[in-house]
Amino acid sequence: MAEVKYVQASRVYAKDAPPAVDALDLDIKDGEFMVLVGPSGSGKTTALRMLAGLEPLDGGRIEIGEKDVTWVPPKDRDIAMVFQNYALYPNKTVAENMGFALKMQHVHKDERARRVQEAARLLDLDDQLLGRKPKALSGGQRQRVAMGRAIVREPRVFLMDEPLSNLDAKLRVQTRAQIAELQRRLGITTVYVTHDQVEAMTMGNRVAVLAGGKLQQCDTPRQLYDNPVNQFVAGFIGSPAMNLQTVPLTEEGARLGGTVIPLPTAVRTAASQAGLRELVLGIRPEHMHLADGSGQIKGEVMLVEELGADALLHVRLAESGNQVVARAEGRKPPAPGQDVTFRVQPDDVFAFNPATGARLAG
Amino acid sequence: MAVVETGAAPPSVAEVRPRGATRREAWQRRLPLLPALIYTIVVTQVPFLVTLWYSFQNYFFDTPGGAHWTGVSNYKQVFTSAAFRGALWRSVIMTVTAVLVAMILGVAFALLLDRKFIGRSIVRTLVITPFLVMPAAAALVWAGPMLDPNFGLLNYLLQPFGVHHVAWLSTHALGSVIVVMIWQWTPFMTLIVLAGLQGQPADVLEAAKVDGAGRLATFRELTFPFLRPYIELGILLGSIYLINVFDAVRLMTNGGPGTATTNLPFYLYEQVNNAFDVGGAAAAGVVTVVLTIIVATFALRMFARVFQFEGAGS
Amino acid sequence: MTAVHARTRPPGAQRFREMSGNVGWGLIAWVLGIAFFLPVLWMVITAFKPESAAETWPPKFTFSPTLAEFRLVFSGWGPYVTHSVIATVVSTLLVLLLGVPAAYALAIHPVKRWQDGLFFFISTKMLPIVAAIGPLYVIALKTHLLDNIWLLIILYTAMNLPLAIWLIRSFMLEVPGEMLEAAELDGAGRIRQMGEVIMPVISPGLVSTALICVIFAWNELFLALNLTTTNAATLPMFLISSVPQEGLYIAHLSAAATVASVPVIIVGWVAQRSLVRGLSMGAIK
Repeated sequence: MAEVKYVQASRVYAKDAPPAVDALDLDIKDGEFMVLVGPSGSGKTTALRMLAGLEPLDGGRIEIGEKDVTWVPPKDRDIAMVFQNYALYPNKTVAENMGFALKMQHVHKDERARRVQEAARLLDLDDQLLGRKPKALSGGQRQRVAMGRAIVREPRVFLMDEPLSNLDAKLRVQTRAQIAELQRRLGITTVYVTHDQVEAMTMGNRVAVLAGGKLQQCDTPRQLYDNPVNQFVAGFIGSPAMNLQTVPLTEEGARLGGTVIPLPTAVRTAASQAGLRELVLGIRPEHMHLADGSGQIKGEVMLVEELGADALLHVRLAESGNQVVARAEGRKPPAPGQDVTFRVQPDDVFAFNPATGARLAG
Repeated sequence: MAVVETGAAPPSVAEVRPRGATRREAWQRRLPLLPALIYTIVVTQVPFLVTLWYSFQNYFFDTPGGAHWTGVSNYKQVFTSAAFRGALWRSVIMTVTAVLVAMILGVAFALLLDRKFIGRSIVRTLVITPFLVMPAAAALVWAGPMLDPNFGLLNYLLQPFGVHHVAWLSTHALGSVIVVMIWQWTPFMTLIVLAGLQGQPADVLEAAKVDGAGRLATFRELTFPFLRPYIELGILLGSIYLINVFDAVRLMTNGGPGTATTNLPFYLYEQVNNAFDVGGAAAAGVVTVVLTIIVATFALRMFARVFQFEGAGS
Repeated sequence: MTAVHARTRPPGAQRFREMSGNVGWGLIAWVLGIAFFLPVLWMVITAFKPESAAETWPPKFTFSPTLAEFRLVFSGWGPYVTHSVIATVVSTLLVLLLGVPAAYALAIHPVKRWQDGLFFFISTKMLPIVAAIGPLYVIALKTHLLDNIWLLIILYTAMNLPLAIWLIRSFMLEVPGEMLEAAELDGAGRIRQMGEVIMPVISPGLVSTALICVIFAWNELFLALNLTTTNAATLPMFLISSVPQEGLYIAHLSAAATVASVPVIIVGWVAQRSLVRGLSMGAIK
């Protein structure tokens, strides 16, 4: 168990191309479950592979347990990795797969078998599976063997590269919980890469959002949700996504849907200091409260998606014609074509600089 | 490989239509196959049947009177003929030696060519060229410019090692022919093993790196087992091609000195061309075919197993 | 935050080991590659020698090159190369003509017991043609096909057909089933499907197959030697004839060998990947 540090770590593939990972600074505490999340191309997998030693660094360094491991080969870093496509050894049985690393360390046969059994039990892998080869296993079973292979090693750091992406939806939800529980039990520092923000939010102690090779924000899921530091994080975290609309600025606030949404003084000051005429307003769908007639924001319902417990209303706002999504009660949602009004709490409104994406004041 | 846990696999093409739904359907399916099938049967089986018939005949080209029935006397001759057994034995030796050495060299070359280095594709092209040289040309070029005792290149290159004007085709005839066979077929083995090496999934090798396996351990535990089907395929196909080698024998040594390099194909050729013994050649031919069928049955079974990694059709 | 990308470097010892490792193996590969290629190189060099410089001791590496031997080769090879080209091209076309429908019947809408069909074809490849050469000669004699280019064409077609069927079949198996189903839904019958869907998709595969057949037919010696004399003699026979009973011949032989081999060498260099697939009968893609 150890802490992990990325210090100004960079990876550049081609001379003139933008870096795949751009001066990443990240401190991961001992025993923490850190999720790296972002769209494809954000550099999250590259950052993970740099930690594994499978990609060299073009700048900065990486520390594990306070030691600089930048040039240490993967096998000497005391890490274990779960690959996206599992990368199980095709010609070896499950038991041999899980025991391979121990065999490389010259651990005695009996000790190897014991540790493999233990890991198998932890992961609910039947004894009869231990003698089978990967091609005779289902996707879910292979995924567990890949995890078992990592657990058996009792490393200082677990690395996981989108381990759930090849499972079907139901299995994914199940396994997600199992992995989180397992990590809690074992207490090993874990770095987990995913493109799915739901996984990130439910599994991580802290989540690092990456985009374009740069770290956007690293915080607890709650903080990311309540206090996004820029437009990208605001729009990436939360499902359905936050409504982001470019709206004109007025004396007291911003115009949206036929009314003026009041903005705090600090925000208005920041906006005028930056010389802005308009800004990006962010309101989460669940913060657009349906008010029968008494709300200030007016709009017409275009489409209703009924989800059972809730309904998602796609609304075209008055005046500007922006399309937003609002969450409503599932029982009796308004019908398409109906005119509706909304109320929002001023605290639930985020303002972003349209040019830089940075959050204004807040 | 990603495995998505959904329901049943999508139907293969053949299952889309129920097989043999109607008799007309069945004949419609057979029709495209018939031309090739009939052609092959006629051109390959008819000569074989004729061979079979002649094997029971006494028929010498240079003797007037044509063919007449002689029962199994030709066969008796074949089985008692030291020449035939010698040719058979030599065929086995030549094929086994050439295949094994070519495969070992092939694996070595494939491993070398799998790494990145400057000019890798050039070296690869150099290595496969011997296979592309016309076998007749290769035989003649080795026999003359390479191995000639008086002006051959090999003798010149081996001079510093104390080798003087060796008449390779006289003193080491069998070895020389085998060397040419190896020279021509190593590229074949190299290409097959190389295809295997390059087909190894990269993430499995990375997992091994993370698990602490060094180069040697990775090769022993993962790469070599992965290559086994490819090596088997190479040995199988190479044997099929090599056992029929004729050009090198005819053009380098003409089967000699004496019968030192006479293999089965050459023996059969001599029976027809020199002995004019159609009956005897036919009997020898039939015996050869029977032996080949026995070996081929094992080979075909192996073929089926090796080919299962291709996933036989619909 | 943009960083100054000061390039970090691994510790010196590690860098040296990595680099010398790569350079070392690369060097070995080059040495072995050149050694392997040497006889071909020697053949081509010798082809440019005048005969007097070809049979010397020690062998000459410097000499004044001449095209004399090549000119001799080109003046003599006329009928031989014509026969080779005819036999090769016509037999390959026949192979494709017969092989494509057969592969279709074994791949896309298989007949019952298609495996047996496949294995029958490959078994003919395993049977040594040498065994039947006597009777083949007699048959050819009696049907007046001896020393006739058509005999070679017929036999070369039979020789290459099994390989071609296996190969083309392997390419056809790669046509996505859904593509054919979509075509069928669009109203295309079997023949239209073949022409408009399958053929375009497998056309590179057909080229590879044709190349393999060309290589084997072009290089074939045994049948040509035994069943032809002058009217159908092919290039390999020409090669043999360039080795006279007496007199100097090494340079002439080298020139003939070079000329005979160059077409196949070029084809092979260009189509390396297809070569592997072809020789392994489609097992290796």
